[in-house]
Amino acid sequence: MSDYLDRFGRDQSTCHRWPPLVKLYVAMGLILAATCAPITHGPLLGLIACAIFFVHSLARIPLAFVARRLFFFWPPLFLMALSLPLSQGCRAGWLMSATIICRGTLSFTTALWLVNVMPFDQLLATLRRLRLPSVFLAILALMYRFLFVLWDELDRMRTARQVRLFRKPSLWEQWQQGAQMLGRLLIRALDRADRVHGAMMARGWQGETRWLEQRQKDQR
Amino acid sequence: MTAANAVRVDRLSFRYPGSALTLNDVSFSIASGEIVGLVGPSGAGKSTLLQHLNGLLPTRLSESETNTWIDDIPVTRASLPDVRRRVGFLFQDPDDQLFCPTVFEDVAFGPLNLNLPDDEVRRRVQESLLAVGLSGYESRSTMRLSLGERKRVCLAGVFACQPSILALDEPFSSLDPRARRTLIGILKKFPGSQIVATHDLDVVVELCHRVLLLDGGQLRASGLTNDILGNAALMERHGLEVPLRLQPR
Repeated sequence: MSDYLDRFGRDQSTCHRWPPLVKLYVAMGLILAATCAPITHGPLLGLIACAIFFVHSLARIPLAFVARRLFFFWPPLFLMALSLPLSQGCRAGWLMSATIICRGTLSFTTALWLVNVMPFDQLLATLRRLRLPSVFLAILALMYRFLFVLWDELDRMRTARQVRLFRKPSLWEQWQQGAQMLGRLLIRALDRADRVHGAMMARGWQGETRWLEQRQKDQR
Repeated sequence: MTAANAVRVDRLSFRYPGSALTLNDVSFSIASGEIVGLVGPSGAGKSTLLQHLNGLLPTRLSESETNTWIDDIPVTRASLPDVRRRVGFLFQDPDDQLFCPTVFEDVAFGPLNLNLPDDEVRRRVQESLLAVGLSGYESRSTMRLSLGERKRVCLAGVFACQPSILALDEPFSSLDPRARRTLIGILKKFPGSQIVATHDLDVVVELCHRVLLLDGGQLRASGLTNDILGNAALMERHGLEVPLRLQPR
Protein backbone atom coordinates (compact mmCIF):
# COMPACT_ATOMS: atom_id res chain seq x y z
CA MET A 1 0.00 0.00 0.00
CA SER A 2 2.90 2.33 0.78
CA ASP A 3 3.73 2.67 -2.93
CA TYR A 4 0.17 3.44 -4.01
CA LEU A 5 1.03 6.88 -5.37
CA ASP A 6 4.75 6.71 -6.19
CA ARG A 7 5.29 3.14 -7.37
CA PHE A 8 7.69 4.23 -10.13
CA GLY A 9 9.53 6.83 -8.05
CA ARG A 10 12.87 5.00 -8.14
CA ASP A 11 12.79 3.81 -11.76
CA GLN A 12 15.49 4.85 -14.23
CA SER A 13 13.77 6.46 -17.22
CA THR A 14 14.84 9.62 -19.04
CA CYS A 15 12.62 11.72 -16.79
CA HIS A 16 14.01 10.10 -13.65
CA ARG A 17 17.50 11.15 -14.69
CA TRP A 18 16.58 14.84 -15.04
CA PRO A 19 17.93 17.08 -12.26
CA PRO A 20 15.39 17.41 -9.38
CA LEU A 21 14.90 21.14 -9.95
CA VAL A 22 14.09 20.60 -13.64
CA LYS A 23 11.44 18.00 -12.74
CA LEU A 24 9.92 20.36 -10.20
CA TYR A 25 9.87 23.30 -12.64
CA VAL A 26 8.33 21.16 -15.40
CA ALA A 27 5.57 20.05 -13.02
CA MET A 28 4.98 23.58 -11.74
CA GLY A 29 4.89 24.89 -15.32
CA LEU A 30 2.34 22.32 -16.42
CA ILE A 31 0.14 22.92 -13.37
CA LEU A 32 0.37 26.69 -13.86
CA ALA A 33 -0.56 26.32 -17.53
CA ALA A 34 -3.48 24.01 -16.68
CA THR A 35 -4.86 26.36 -14.05
CA CYS A 36 -4.45 29.51 -16.16
CA ALA A 37 -5.87 28.20 -19.43
CA PRO A 38 -9.52 29.25 -19.87
CA ILE A 39 -11.98 26.41 -20.27
CA THR A 40 -13.21 27.93 -23.54
CA HIS A 41 -9.76 27.43 -25.14
CA GLY A 42 -10.17 23.75 -25.97
CA PRO A 43 -7.08 23.40 -28.24
CA LEU A 44 -4.83 24.94 -25.56
CA LEU A 45 -6.14 22.54 -22.90
CA GLY A 46 -5.67 19.68 -25.35
CA LEU A 47 -2.08 20.76 -25.92
CA ILE A 48 -1.42 20.78 -22.14
CA ALA A 49 -3.03 17.33 -21.80
CA CYS A 50 -0.78 16.09 -24.64
CA ALA A 51 2.28 17.50 -22.87
CA ILE A 52 1.30 15.72 -19.64
CA PHE A 53 0.70 12.50 -21.56
CA PHE A 54 4.09 12.91 -23.22
CA VAL A 55 6.03 13.28 -19.94
CA HIS A 56 4.14 10.29 -18.49
CA SER A 57 5.18 8.21 -21.52
CA LEU A 58 8.74 9.45 -21.23
CA ALA A 59 8.77 8.34 -17.59
CA ARG A 60 7.31 4.95 -18.61
CA ILE A 61 4.37 5.31 -16.21
CA PRO A 62 1.62 2.92 -17.41
CA LEU A 63 -1.65 4.52 -18.46
CA ALA A 64 -3.60 1.95 -16.41
CA PHE A 65 -1.78 3.10 -13.27
CA VAL A 66 -2.77 6.73 -13.92
CA ALA A 67 -6.34 5.72 -14.76
CA ARG A 68 -6.76 3.75 -11.54
CA ARG A 69 -5.52 6.69 -9.44
CA LEU A 70 -7.84 9.02 -11.31
CA PHE A 71 -10.69 6.67 -10.51
CA PHE A 72 -10.10 7.45 -6.82
CA PHE A 73 -9.51 11.15 -7.37
CA TRP A 74 -12.54 11.86 -9.55
CA PRO A 75 -15.46 11.10 -7.17
CA PRO A 76 -14.69 13.92 -4.68
CA LEU A 77 -13.75 16.24 -7.56
CA PHE A 78 -16.99 15.53 -9.42
CA LEU A 79 -18.99 15.89 -6.21
CA MET A 80 -17.50 19.30 -5.62
CA ALA A 81 -17.87 20.35 -9.27
CA LEU A 82 -21.47 19.20 -9.53
CA SER A 83 -22.47 21.19 -6.47
CA LEU A 84 -21.67 24.43 -8.31
CA PRO A 85 -24.63 24.50 -10.73
CA LEU A 86 -26.86 24.21 -7.67
CA SER A 87 -25.35 27.24 -5.97
CA GLN A 88 -24.28 29.42 -8.93
CA GLY A 89 -27.15 28.92 -11.34
CA CYS A 90 -27.15 26.56 -14.26
CA ARG A 91 -25.29 28.40 -17.04
CA ALA A 92 -22.40 29.86 -15.03
CA GLY A 93 -22.38 26.84 -12.74
CA TRP A 94 -21.79 24.24 -15.47
CA LEU A 95 -18.96 26.27 -16.91
CA MET A 96 -17.32 26.46 -13.49
CA SER A 97 -17.87 22.72 -12.98
CA ALA A 98 -16.14 21.95 -16.25
CA THR A 99 -13.28 24.27 -15.30
CA ILE A 100 -12.80 22.57 -11.92
CA ILE A 101 -12.91 19.06 -13.41
CA CYS A 102 -10.54 19.97 -16.21
CA ARG A 103 -7.99 21.85 -14.12
CA GLY A 104 -8.23 19.33 -11.26
CA THR A 105 -7.61 16.37 -13.55
CA LEU A 106 -4.68 17.98 -15.36
CA SER A 107 -3.08 19.16 -12.11
CA PHE A 108 -3.56 15.79 -10.43
CA THR A 109 -2.02 13.85 -13.31
CA THR A 110 0.93 16.27 -13.33
CA ALA A 111 1.44 15.87 -9.56
CA LEU A 112 1.20 12.11 -10.02
CA TRP A 113 3.92 12.31 -12.67
CA LEU A 114 6.11 14.35 -10.34
CA VAL A 115 5.93 11.92 -7.40
CA ASN A 116 6.59 9.05 -9.80
CA VAL A 117 9.75 10.53 -11.26
CA MET A 118 11.15 11.87 -8.02
CA PRO A 119 11.38 9.91 -4.75
CA PHE A 120 9.65 11.81 -1.97
CA ASP A 121 12.84 12.44 0.01
CA GLN A 122 14.35 14.03 -3.12
CA LEU A 123 11.24 16.14 -3.57
CA LEU A 124 11.52 17.35 0.04
CA ALA A 125 15.22 18.11 -0.42
CA THR A 126 14.41 20.12 -3.55
CA LEU A 127 11.66 22.04 -1.77
CA ARG A 128 14.11 22.76 1.05
CA ARG A 129 16.50 24.22 -1.52
CA LEU A 130 13.69 26.52 -2.62
CA ARG A 131 13.52 27.67 1.03
CA LEU A 132 9.96 26.59 1.72
CA PRO A 133 9.08 27.05 5.43
CA SER A 134 10.36 24.12 7.49
CA VAL A 135 6.99 23.72 9.25
CA PHE A 136 5.33 23.18 5.88
CA LEU A 137 7.98 20.63 4.91
CA ALA A 138 7.65 18.82 8.24
CA ILE A 139 3.88 18.59 7.71
CA LEU A 140 4.45 17.21 4.20
CA ALA A 141 6.97 14.65 5.46
CA LEU A 142 4.73 13.48 8.30
CA MET A 143 1.68 13.35 6.02
CA TYR A 144 3.53 11.21 3.49
CA ARG A 145 4.88 8.93 6.24
CA PHE A 146 1.61 8.37 8.08
CA LEU A 147 -0.99 8.53 5.30
CA PHE A 148 -0.26 4.93 4.40
CA VAL A 149 0.10 3.79 8.02
CA LEU A 150 -3.45 5.04 8.59
CA TRP A 151 -4.60 3.58 5.29
CA ASP A 152 -3.24 0.18 6.38
CA GLU A 153 -5.00 0.60 9.72
CA LEU A 154 -8.27 1.30 7.90
CA ASP A 155 -7.64 -1.75 5.75
CA ARG A 156 -7.16 -3.94 8.83
CA MET A 157 -10.36 -2.58 10.37
CA ARG A 158 -12.22 -3.30 7.14
CA THR A 159 -10.87 -6.86 7.05
CA ALA A 160 -11.79 -7.39 10.71
CA ARG A 161 -15.32 -6.25 9.90
CA GLN A 162 -15.59 -8.42 6.81
CA VAL A 163 -14.58 -11.63 8.59
CA ARG A 164 -17.49 -11.14 10.97
CA LEU A 165 -20.03 -10.20 8.31
CA PHE A 166 -22.14 -13.22 7.59
CA ARG A 167 -24.53 -11.52 5.20
CA LYS A 168 -24.36 -8.72 2.70
CA PRO A 169 -25.12 -5.47 4.53
CA SER A 170 -27.64 -3.04 3.12
CA LEU A 171 -26.43 0.22 1.62
CA TRP A 172 -27.55 2.08 4.75
CA GLU A 173 -25.63 -0.35 6.98
CA GLN A 174 -22.56 0.03 4.79
CA TRP A 175 -22.67 3.82 5.15
CA GLN A 176 -23.26 3.50 8.88
CA GLN A 177 -20.37 1.08 9.39
CA GLY A 178 -18.11 3.13 7.14
CA ALA A 179 -18.80 6.25 9.18
CA GLN A 180 -18.13 4.35 12.43
CA MET A 181 -14.84 3.07 11.05
CA LEU A 182 -13.76 6.55 10.01
CA GLY A 183 -14.60 7.83 13.49
CA ARG A 184 -12.55 5.08 15.08
CA LEU A 185 -9.71 5.77 12.66
CA LEU A 186 -9.73 9.42 13.69
CA ILE A 187 -9.41 8.45 17.36
CA ARG A 188 -6.61 6.01 16.55
CA ALA A 189 -4.89 8.69 14.47
CA LEU A 190 -5.05 11.09 17.42
CA ASP A 191 -3.59 8.42 19.71
CA ARG A 192 -0.83 7.74 17.23
CA ALA A 193 -0.12 11.46 16.85
CA ASP A 194 0.33 11.57 20.62
CA ARG A 195 2.79 8.68 20.54
CA VAL A 196 4.71 10.13 17.58
CA HIS A 197 4.96 13.45 19.44
CA GLY A 198 6.34 11.53 22.44
CA ALA A 199 8.86 9.76 20.20
CA MET A 200 9.99 13.09 18.75
CA MET A 201 10.42 14.62 22.19
CA ALA A 202 12.30 11.53 23.39
CA ARG A 203 14.93 12.33 20.74
CA GLY A 204 15.34 15.93 21.76
CA TRP A 205 12.78 17.68 19.53
CA GLN A 206 11.84 21.05 20.96
CA GLY A 207 9.55 22.43 18.32
CA GLU A 208 12.03 23.24 15.58
CA THR A 209 12.52 20.80 12.71
CA ARG A 210 16.10 20.53 11.46
CA TRP A 211 17.21 18.99 8.20
CA LEU A 212 20.47 17.70 6.90
CA GLU A 213 20.98 16.54 3.36
CA GLN A 214 22.19 12.98 3.17
CA ARG A 215 24.53 13.51 0.28
CA GLN A 216 25.93 16.51 -1.49
CA LYS A 217 24.43 15.30 -4.76
CA ASP A 218 20.93 15.81 -3.32
CA GLN A 219 21.73 19.49 -3.10
CA ARG A 220 22.45 19.88 -6.78
CA MET B 1 32.28 10.99 36.76
CA THR B 2 29.79 8.11 36.55
CA ALA B 3 26.79 8.19 38.86
CA ALA B 4 26.37 5.19 41.17
CA ASN B 5 22.74 4.82 40.15
CA ALA B 6 21.92 5.19 36.50
CA VAL B 7 18.23 5.25 37.41
CA ARG B 8 16.59 5.91 40.74
CA VAL B 9 12.83 5.93 41.25
CA ASP B 10 11.51 6.72 44.68
CA ARG B 11 7.85 6.23 45.66
CA LEU B 12 6.52 7.06 42.21
CA SER B 13 2.75 7.10 41.82
CA PHE B 14 0.89 8.13 38.69
CA ARG B 15 -2.67 8.20 37.46
CA TYR B 16 -3.95 9.04 33.97
CA PRO B 17 -6.82 11.54 34.10
CA GLY B 18 -10.06 9.80 35.00
CA SER B 19 -8.57 6.38 35.73
CA ALA B 20 -7.26 4.38 38.67
CA LEU B 21 -3.66 4.54 39.85
CA THR B 22 -1.44 3.18 37.07
CA LEU B 23 1.70 3.31 39.20
CA ASN B 24 1.44 3.03 42.96
CA ASP B 25 4.40 3.80 45.19
CA VAL B 26 7.04 2.28 42.93
CA SER B 27 10.68 2.45 44.11
CA PHE B 28 13.80 0.89 42.60
CA SER B 29 17.22 1.74 41.31
CA ILE B 30 19.44 0.52 38.47
CA ALA B 31 23.22 0.58 38.74
CA SER B 32 25.46 1.75 35.93
CA GLY B 33 25.93 -0.94 33.30
CA GLU B 34 23.17 -3.12 34.74
CA ILE B 35 20.51 -4.72 32.51
CA VAL B 36 17.16 -4.99 34.24
CA GLY B 37 14.07 -6.77 32.94
CA LEU B 38 10.68 -5.21 33.65
CA VAL B 39 8.06 -7.93 33.58
CA GLY B 40 4.40 -8.16 34.47
CA PRO B 41 1.01 -8.90 32.93
CA SER B 42 -0.59 -6.57 30.36
CA GLY B 43 -1.79 -3.33 31.95
CA ALA B 44 0.69 -3.64 34.83
CA GLY B 45 2.10 -0.15 34.14
CA LYS B 46 5.37 -1.13 32.47
CA SER B 47 5.13 1.33 29.56
CA THR B 48 3.96 4.11 31.87
CA LEU B 49 6.93 3.53 34.14
CA LEU B 50 9.35 3.64 31.20
CA GLN B 51 7.84 6.90 29.98
CA HIS B 52 8.62 8.47 33.35
CA LEU B 53 12.29 7.64 32.90
CA ASN B 54 12.40 9.74 29.75
CA GLY B 55 10.30 12.55 31.18
CA LEU B 56 7.47 11.85 28.73
CA LEU B 57 5.06 11.74 31.63
CA PRO B 58 6.37 14.45 33.93
CA THR B 59 3.75 14.70 36.63
CA ARG B 60 6.16 16.35 39.03
CA LEU B 61 8.02 19.17 37.43
CA SER B 62 9.86 20.81 40.29
CA GLU B 63 13.00 19.42 41.83
CA SER B 64 11.50 19.11 45.31
CA GLU B 65 8.62 16.98 44.04
CA THR B 66 10.30 14.70 41.55
CA ASN B 67 10.40 10.94 42.11
CA THR B 68 12.79 10.05 39.32
CA TRP B 69 16.52 10.59 38.93
CA ILE B 70 18.66 9.76 35.91
CA ASP B 71 22.41 9.64 36.61
CA ASP B 72 21.54 11.48 39.85
CA ILE B 73 19.85 14.28 37.89
CA PRO B 74 16.26 14.89 39.02
CA VAL B 75 13.75 14.63 36.15
CA THR B 76 12.23 18.10 36.07
CA ARG B 77 11.03 20.37 33.31
CA ALA B 78 14.35 22.21 33.36
CA SER B 79 16.41 19.01 33.12
CA LEU B 80 14.34 17.35 30.38
CA PRO B 81 16.79 18.01 27.49
CA ASP B 82 19.65 16.56 29.54
CA VAL B 83 17.57 13.58 30.71
CA ARG B 84 16.41 12.78 27.18
CA ARG B 85 19.97 12.95 25.92
CA ARG B 86 20.94 10.34 28.52
CA VAL B 87 17.95 8.01 28.16
CA GLY B 88 17.33 6.40 24.80
CA PHE B 89 13.71 5.31 24.50
CA LEU B 90 12.60 2.56 22.13
CA PHE B 91 8.85 2.54 21.52
CA GLN B 92 6.82 -0.62 21.18
CA ASP B 93 5.47 0.19 17.72
CA PRO B 94 8.26 1.20 15.30
CA ASP B 95 5.72 3.12 13.22
CA ASP B 96 5.42 5.56 16.12
CA GLN B 97 9.14 6.15 16.14
CA LEU B 98 9.98 6.25 12.44
CA PHE B 99 8.48 9.50 11.28
CA CYS B 100 10.97 10.66 8.64
CA PRO B 101 10.80 9.62 4.98
CA THR B 102 14.23 7.96 4.81
CA VAL B 103 16.37 5.89 7.16
CA PHE B 104 19.14 8.52 7.08
CA GLU B 105 16.83 11.36 8.05
CA ASP B 106 15.27 9.35 10.83
CA VAL B 107 18.55 8.28 12.40
CA ALA B 108 19.88 11.84 12.04
CA PHE B 109 16.83 13.33 13.79
CA GLY B 110 18.23 13.02 17.33
CA PRO B 111 21.80 14.20 16.59
CA LEU B 112 20.40 17.22 14.69
CA ASN B 113 18.34 18.12 17.74
CA LEU B 114 21.53 17.91 19.78
CA ASN B 115 22.88 20.73 17.55
CA LEU B 116 25.84 18.63 16.46
CA PRO B 117 27.89 19.74 13.43
CA ASP B 118 26.85 18.19 10.11
CA ASP B 119 29.94 15.98 9.83
CA GLU B 120 29.42 14.62 13.32
CA VAL B 121 25.75 13.89 12.52
CA ARG B 122 26.77 11.96 9.40
CA ARG B 123 29.42 10.05 11.34
CA ARG B 124 26.93 9.09 14.05
CA VAL B 125 24.37 7.94 11.50
CA GLN B 126 26.97 5.72 9.81
CA GLU B 127 28.18 4.29 13.11
CA SER B 128 24.68 3.65 14.45
CA LEU B 129 23.55 1.91 11.27
CA LEU B 130 26.73 -0.16 11.34
CA ALA B 131 26.02 -1.13 14.99
CA VAL B 132 22.57 -2.46 14.08
CA GLY B 133 23.81 -4.14 10.89
CA LEU B 134 22.02 -1.83 8.46
CA SER B 135 24.87 -0.07 6.69
CA GLY B 136 23.83 0.91 3.19
CA TYR B 137 20.20 1.46 4.19
CA GLU B 138 20.59 5.25 4.40
CA SER B 139 18.46 6.16 1.39
CA ARG B 140 15.84 3.44 1.95
CA SER B 141 12.29 4.58 2.66
CA THR B 142 11.22 3.94 6.25
CA MET B 143 7.92 2.63 4.91
CA ARG B 144 9.50 -0.17 2.92
CA LEU B 145 11.29 -2.08 5.65
CA SER B 146 10.44 -5.33 7.40
CA LEU B 147 9.35 -5.14 11.03
CA GLY B 148 12.75 -6.39 12.21
CA GLU B 149 14.53 -3.78 10.09
CA ARG B 150 12.22 -1.04 11.34
CA LYS B 151 13.00 -1.97 14.95
CA ARG B 152 16.73 -1.89 14.19
CA VAL B 153 16.43 1.50 12.49
CA CYS B 154 14.59 2.76 15.60
CA LEU B 155 17.44 1.44 17.72
CA ALA B 156 19.98 3.12 15.42
CA GLY B 157 18.08 6.38 15.93
CA VAL B 158 18.41 5.88 19.67
CA PHE B 159 22.11 4.90 19.47
CA ALA B 160 22.87 7.99 17.37
CA CYS B 161 22.08 10.15 20.42
CA GLN B 162 24.71 8.14 22.36
CA PRO B 163 22.59 7.62 25.47
CA SER B 164 23.98 6.08 28.65
CA ILE B 165 20.71 4.30 29.45
CA LEU B 166 18.29 2.41 27.21
CA ALA B 167 14.60 2.18 28.08
CA LEU B 168 13.11 -0.44 25.77
CA ASP B 169 9.37 -1.01 25.52
CA GLU B 170 8.60 -4.50 24.16
CA PRO B 171 11.59 -4.56 21.82
CA PHE B 172 11.05 -8.20 20.83
CA SER B 173 7.31 -8.20 20.15
CA SER B 174 6.26 -9.60 16.74
CA LEU B 175 9.85 -10.36 15.71
CA ASP B 176 10.75 -13.60 13.99
CA PRO B 177 13.46 -15.72 15.67
CA ARG B 178 16.27 -14.42 13.46
CA ALA B 179 15.37 -10.75 13.99
CA ARG B 180 14.95 -11.43 17.71
CA ARG B 181 18.38 -13.07 17.89
CA THR B 182 19.96 -10.14 16.00
CA LEU B 183 18.38 -7.64 18.39
CA ILE B 184 19.58 -9.58 21.46
CA GLY B 185 23.11 -9.52 20.01
CA ILE B 186 22.93 -5.74 19.49
CA LEU B 187 21.65 -5.09 23.02
CA LYS B 188 24.31 -7.32 24.57
CA LYS B 189 26.99 -5.13 23.01
CA PHE B 190 25.53 -1.89 24.40
CA PRO B 191 27.84 -0.73 27.20
CA GLY B 192 25.36 1.30 29.29
CA SER B 193 22.42 0.44 31.55
CA GLN B 194 19.23 -1.00 30.13
CA ILE B 195 15.70 -1.46 31.35
CA VAL B 196 13.74 -3.84 29.13
CA ALA B 197 9.96 -4.13 29.44
CA THR B 198 8.92 -7.39 27.77
CA HIS B 199 6.66 -10.42 27.86
CA ASP B 200 9.41 -12.54 26.35
CA LEU B 201 10.74 -14.06 29.56
CA ASP B 202 13.25 -16.35 27.85
CA VAL B 203 14.98 -13.25 26.51
CA VAL B 204 14.94 -11.76 30.00
CA VAL B 205 16.74 -14.87 31.29
CA GLU B 206 19.35 -14.52 28.57
CA LEU B 207 19.82 -10.76 28.71
CA CYS B 208 19.02 -9.36 32.14
CA HIS B 209 20.99 -9.41 35.38
CA ARG B 210 17.99 -8.50 37.48
CA VAL B 211 14.20 -8.42 37.22
CA LEU B 212 11.48 -6.08 38.46
CA LEU B 213 8.01 -7.62 38.60
CA LEU B 214 5.23 -5.09 38.24
CA ASP B 215 1.54 -5.92 38.68
CA GLY B 216 -1.42 -3.62 39.21
CA GLY B 217 0.90 -0.62 39.21
CA GLN B 218 2.90 -1.92 42.18
CA LEU B 219 6.36 -3.39 42.33
CA ARG B 220 5.65 -6.91 43.59
CA ALA B 221 9.15 -8.40 43.46
CA SER B 222 12.70 -7.46 42.61
CA GLY B 223 15.78 -9.65 42.51
CA LEU B 224 18.12 -11.75 40.44
CA THR B 225 16.60 -12.96 37.19
CA ASN B 226 16.66 -16.67 37.94
CA ASP B 227 15.34 -16.19 41.50
CA ILE B 228 12.31 -14.21 40.38
CA LEU B 229 11.45 -15.92 37.09
CA GLY B 230 12.16 -19.38 38.53
CA ASN B 231 9.69 -18.90 41.36
CA ALA B 232 6.65 -20.72 39.96
CA ALA B 233 4.26 -19.67 42.74
CA LEU B 234 5.20 -15.99 42.40
CA MET B 235 4.94 -16.09 38.64
CA GLU B 236 1.55 -17.79 38.67
CA ARG B 237 0.23 -15.34 41.26
CA HIS B 238 0.94 -12.49 38.85
CA GLY B 239 -0.37 -14.08 35.68
CA LEU B 240 3.05 -15.13 34.34
CA GLU B 241 4.79 -18.42 33.60
CA VAL B 242 8.23 -19.72 34.43
CA PRO B 243 10.20 -19.34 31.19
CA LEU B 244 11.04 -22.54 29.31
CA ARG B 245 14.76 -22.16 30.04
CA LEU B 246 14.12 -22.31 33.79
CA GLN B 247 11.55 -25.09 33.77
CA PRO B 248 12.77 -28.44 35.16
CA ARG B 249 13.30 -30.99 32.38
